[in-house]
Amino acid sequence: MSGSSLPVRIVLGARRARGSGARLLLFTLECALGIVGVVLAAAVAHWSGWLVPIAVLLYLLIVIPIALFCGFWQALIVSLSAVVAHSILNAGEPHLHARANPATDPANSVTLLIFVLVALVVSRLSARVTGHAREAESWGSQMHDLYELSRRTLKMNLHEEPGPQLAELVHEIFELEAVAVFDADLHDVYQAGYWAVDPQEMAQNVYYFETSDDDAETGLGRRVVRLGAVPVGSLLVRGETSPLTNNAIASLIAITFDRYRAFANESRIETERRTEQLRATVLDSLAHAYKTPLTAIRAASTGLGEMGHLSAGQAELVGLIDEQTGLLSELTTRLLTTARLDAGEVAIVAAPVGVGAMIEEVLASLRDRLASMKVSIELQDENLILCCDRQLLVMLLTQYIDNACKYSIFGTTITLRVELVNKEVIFSVNSYGPIIPMADRDRIFDRYYRSSNYSNRAPGTGIGLSVAKRVALIHGGYVWVTSDEIEGTTFFAAIPAQELKRCS
Amino acid sequence: MTIQPEIRILVVDDESAIRRALRPPLVELGFQVSEASRGEEALQMLRAAVYDAVLLDVNMPGIGGVETLRRIRAFAPRLPILMLTVRDQEEEKVEALDLGADDYVTKPFSTRELIARIRAAVRRVKSPLRADDAPIEIGEIRLEPVRRLVTRRRQAVHLTRKEFDILHCLMSRAGRVVTYAKLLTAVWGADCREEVEYLRTFVRQLRKKIEDDPSNPQYLLTDVYVGYRFADAQMFQDAAETVGAENAEPDNAS
Repeated sequence: MSGSSLPVRIVLGARRARGSGARLLLFTLECALGIVGVVLAAAVAHWSGWLVPIAVLLYLLIVIPIALFCGFWQALIVSLSAVVAHSILNAGEPHLHARANPATDPANSVTLLIFVLVALVVSRLSARVTGHAREAESWGSQMHDLYELSRRTLKMNLHEEPGPQLAELVHEIFELEAVAVFDADLHDVYQAGYWAVDPQEMAQNVYYFETSDDDAETGLGRRVVRLGAVPVGSLLVRGETSPLTNNAIASLIAITFDRYRAFANESRIETERRTEQLRATVLDSLAHAYKTPLTAIRAASTGLGEMGHLSAGQAELVGLIDEQTGLLSELTTRLLTTARLDAGEVAIVAAPVGVGAMIEEVLASLRDRLASMKVSIELQDENLILCCDRQLLVMLLTQYIDNACKYSIFGTTITLRVELVNKEVIFSVNSYGPIIPMADRDRIFDRYYRSSNYSNRAPGTGIGLSVAKRVALIHGGYVWVTSDEIEGTTFFAAIPAQELKRCS
Repeated sequence: MTIQPEIRILVVDDESAIRRALRPPLVELGFQVSEASRGEEALQMLRAAVYDAVLLDVNMPGIGGVETLRRIRAFAPRLPILMLTVRDQEEEKVEALDLGADDYVTKPFSTRELIARIRAAVRRVKSPLRADDAPIEIGEIRLEPVRRLVTRRRQAVHLTRKEFDILHCLMSRAGRVVTYAKLLTAVWGADCREEVEYLRTFVRQLRKKIEDDPSNPQYLLTDVYVGYRFADAQMFQDAAETVGAENAEPDNAS
């Protein structure tokens, strides 16, 4: 084990003991080289008869580079060796020095002591500097790696699942032994590198028990990947990274997961929108294509009737053709309107609309159908003005009243009520007819859905109520229905009563 | 059917099926029918011969119905022109009416309604020009511009000034649609041409005063999204027996 790498090891923590044999060999070699150096220096000093301070300077010349380039422990061993070698060589002929300068002995010892202390301090300092440098370098490279990871995740292909790509990226960029990423949303574990045991279960446990830690022994880092406070997955890494780096990697993974979800969501919405638009376009062109033949048929059948000379049976058949053409035409028009509403092509033209006049207009347009019905109107405020798209709202009311006509029992009254409740204008159409089953009450507002109770009772397309719903939604309102035997069936539409000032 | 001099009519529609469906009944009912499939062709024919009425499709390749109308009006200001439109073309309807079209029918129309409208338009043109301040009497309603007096079943109806102006404007053009913008401009001036809701309130009041059943008007009719129309004297007589159902047609919620 290399002593010089100790501080770095503490910081990096997870670094695993590996290649220790090679390091021991290197350590021994460095020490041996130093020892040989100082022994040679001691010998030179002895035979040249140099004074101790000069010899000590020579030793320092050897010890300092060793402290700088190899480490504290090597420098310590070498400097002690220098003291030992110096003492042994000079001990052989103590008389020489003693005779030349008897007072030098204690001075020599002090010099040697100072040498040892200087060597120690220099070694310690240089070791620390080296350690810091290595640490900084290591941080630098990890920062670089993190930067690289964030850059590559930004460029990642979001059309595919992010998990496998992330595992590969982290493994490659941080040069780890093994990586596993658990995506809780897709409920899958993706791995890269070599795992002796399948990390699947461990990764899921990290997510479920929310354990984030680093094991220096095994070099294994575990992180819960969180988006805000919400866990969205987990990360397992084995190799040399710092806990902080692991945290950063986990955050980058969380962000990537989030981007993937947002992207997937966006493209799903976009796809839906396109499908809807395509459907609307097809409906639109179909409806338009139907108009001409319908016009020709109606002109022809009514023309036949006008020309006269028809027998009663012929006239009846001509009438039937005319009537059915009318139905077909109405259906086409409704399809067209729904298609446009759905495609969002109908721009809402909000203007102040007198509710009373509007209702009169609706009833007038339905007067043929209402001829045999009793209709009562309950208008809370004769002069109520609502900011809305008149054309669309007429459509909604027409639909509700038309619906009530279709399904109400003959002889019962249809009640149209308008109330202003809590800044909402609530239109309701009440009639007595078959009860709408609870399960159907939401779905009857869906396109093409017809209540199972009604299927064989009345002509219709199952489009109208979806139009009503769309109209209310476009105005920021909503629709609902209640139905029971005592109160009858009531269709409601609530439209927010905006300030008229904001109305164009 | 009433015996009357043959009406020469020009049918302009790019769809041959519609021309084919219209020809036999029109011929049978005493019209002399010519056909054109494009606006340009129609313009040539109108310069070469005399017609009593034109049926003009709005949607045509080439210069289209509205532009054809504009060019016809340039040399034939009084020729009755009926536009054939489809329901979701309210803007074109209004544009055509403002450019001087006499009336419109919405596809798919019934031949009976079409013929009634053609006859009404031709009749209006052929009837002698009425002085602006001559009294107008339609059904049970009589309006005297000079005295600013309106009577219904010989009883005076009290109208405000604006209500009278609206009624006068509509009755002097009886049988024809008056677009919202035209009516607003005539009564309040060009600055108010967008105030349709304002107009609706007045019409509502007016209906209460002149109609038996204001929610089911017989005189002051609504052409949804386009304007108002006062029942034509002739059409009003027919209304009870025939036209009722047909008039409702453009009103049906779209």
